[in-house]
Amino acid sequence: MTIKSHIQQIDKATRAWFRADNILLKEAIEQTVAEGLFTFEDIKFAIRALKEKVYAGQVAEWAERAGLSEEHHQKGKKVLCLHAGNLPMVGFQDALGTILSGANYYGKLSSKDPYLLAAFLDALKNAGVSTNIDYSTDLNSFKDLKADKVLFAGSEQSVEPVKLKLSELNAITDETAFDIRTAKFSIAYITSEDSDVVTDLVEAIFRYGGQGCRSVAVVVSPIKFSNLKCHFQDYIEAFWLKNPPTKKYTSAIEYQFAYNKAIERDQAWLDHFLIQDSEDFPELDSTLHWVQGDENKVKELVQKFGAAVQTVYTAGEKIAGLKTDFLSQAQTPNLWWEPDRKPVI
Amino acid sequence: MIDPFDPSLTFEEKSLQIFEYQKTNNPVYQRFCQALGVNVVNSVSEIPLLPIQAFKDATLITEHESLNIQDSSLKFESSGTSGMHRSKHYVLDPKLYKESILKGMNHFYNLENYVVLAYTPGYAENPNSSLVWMLNTLIKNDNTGMSRFLPLGDVIVSDFLDEITSSGKKVMLFGAAFGLLDLIEMGSPSLPVNAVILETGGMKTHRREMTKEALHERLATGFNLPKESIHSEYGMTELLSQAYSRGSFWFECVPWMQVSIRNPQNPMEEMSSGEEGLIGVIDLANINSCSFILTGDKGVQGEDGKFQVLGRWNPINLRGCNFLIED
Repeated sequence: MTIKSHIQQIDKATRAWFRADNILLKEAIEQTVAEGLFTFEDIKFAIRALKEKVYAGQVAEWAERAGLSEEHHQKGKKVLCLHAGNLPMVGFQDALGTILSGANYYGKLSSKDPYLLAAFLDALKNAGVSTNIDYSTDLNSFKDLKADKVLFAGSEQSVEPVKLKLSELNAITDETAFDIRTAKFSIAYITSEDSDVVTDLVEAIFRYGGQGCRSVAVVVSPIKFSNLKCHFQDYIEAFWLKNPPTKKYTSAIEYQFAYNKAIERDQAWLDHFLIQDSEDFPELDSTLHWVQGDENKVKELVQKFGAAVQTVYTAGEKIAGLKTDFLSQAQTPNLWWEPDRKPVI
Repeated sequence: MIDPFDPSLTFEEKSLQIFEYQKTNNPVYQRFCQALGVNVVNSVSEIPLLPIQAFKDATLITEHESLNIQDSSLKFESSGTSGMHRSKHYVLDPKLYKESILKGMNHFYNLENYVVLAYTPGYAENPNSSLVWMLNTLIKNDNTGMSRFLPLGDVIVSDFLDEITSSGKKVMLFGAAFGLLDLIEMGSPSLPVNAVILETGGMKTHRREMTKEALHERLATGFNLPKESIHSEYGMTELLSQAYSRGSFWFECVPWMQVSIRNPQNPMEEMSSGEEGLIGVIDLANINSCSFILTGDKGVQGEDGKFQVLGRWNPINLRGCNFLIED
């Protein structure tokens, strides 16, 4: 099969999978919700966002942008994707990108998201996609794989234990390439209190409970947090009415709240989330750091947080010397968005 | 006033008294306890530990009518480049720090028998370093006049080492890890066989990074000493007491200091022996600042209370996408 027909076949199968009458997708969603893995609202949002991109022709466009052709492809290569499971369909992009490239896909699915991606992969297999598609929630299934490439989200510290485990399984060789995603969060720079901007900001922060590296954990703004606090809380409450959060605060956040009180740092505790006036690294989940500052402060923080920063969003403003994305697209990126600012294909 | 060194009271009795005292007289710690809803505690393990960052973000002073910031007070600052946000530790009663240093060292070493050599910047250049102040105190405490700050960039003179040996004293050489390695690379002579090296940390520099095991091996070989003679000090600007490891990687505290390992996700909870977590310190000598501190260091504790320092806790691991093998 030529690469061109391979891409067309995947495009067709992917479009079919997102159809509203796909019973298998419906079942996967129901199972995920029934087991309390993700909320229905978050799953619906994720599926809708991906569907819009697929129906806009982005599968073929992605292949074209990546320069896939009969001469340039990854046919015969074995790629092992170790998917994280902190938001619904989080592995979709890596899986689709790997398969589009012509490589043989081996996916270790997260036990936190075992149904949605699996249903999609089954659909591709059933459509007769010619590359190998193999997945499991058990890493031991990849014994003796000898992958050419391993892709996973983690940190420099997690590389060695993962390599050790994969070596024990003979799933990698000395030549296996590792692509480690270390980005943890995104930064938003806002200069306006306009309703559209604040609505987009709330979506960018609170969708998926703030999980995922595209979610905003740091806001830089000339507007002082205390001036926007009440106004901002109204938007957040409106968002939570439509998208009820499931995670309650943790003891670590309770401790952080007490610490902020101790040093008299401005903060707002919203039951499920702690917003604080802080330039520190946003180390805890369910926290947002608000930093009063201008474009130079954004640059300073990008430098300070380094590889942990995925994207800087603005509502349209340009920041000289920094690549930025639109805040409104934080949770609805194009299929070819670049995790860790590196292309998937 | 509570005496943190009072041997007639148990550690727990003194800790509970100091907790009450600081909760009442230290506004930062008071707000912290109030926000956590902690008012009365019945044991040391129930005392909340204030994140060490507070020494950067606030002024931590437990004042009372007879003791407040005066000209005689010390202000220690953590090291860092200019413009960096540094920890500040106000020491209202320098006599208390001096007492902690001398009593602490004498708890582990008989200072009478040692000449202290410090391969660190001198006191004049670093009046705000708590480590240099400590070394200066130890040097001034030695009546022989042989204890001193060594000139940086020069090797230790053999004749001087012979002079110390002839006097019947032993050498105690203090220095940061990289400084001691510099001494070796410059060709410093072997130290007398009964010498002790006390490395004070500083494992990671722009020039080299190595494990504690490799460092001790290198120091032992370089100074021609048995590995048992390579000791370490665990101390910091925010503490007025230190812990020491002597020939192993396990640290022991002085009697008025106690370490526990805390769950990073819930610092009120102590980890079991052998489990990694954040190092929590109770330093009763910090009576005039804050005695109950949650450090940013990763550690593990044995059944006997000794602990190991495993480096800095990496907060990046707590947030975001992480593939975990057990996931």
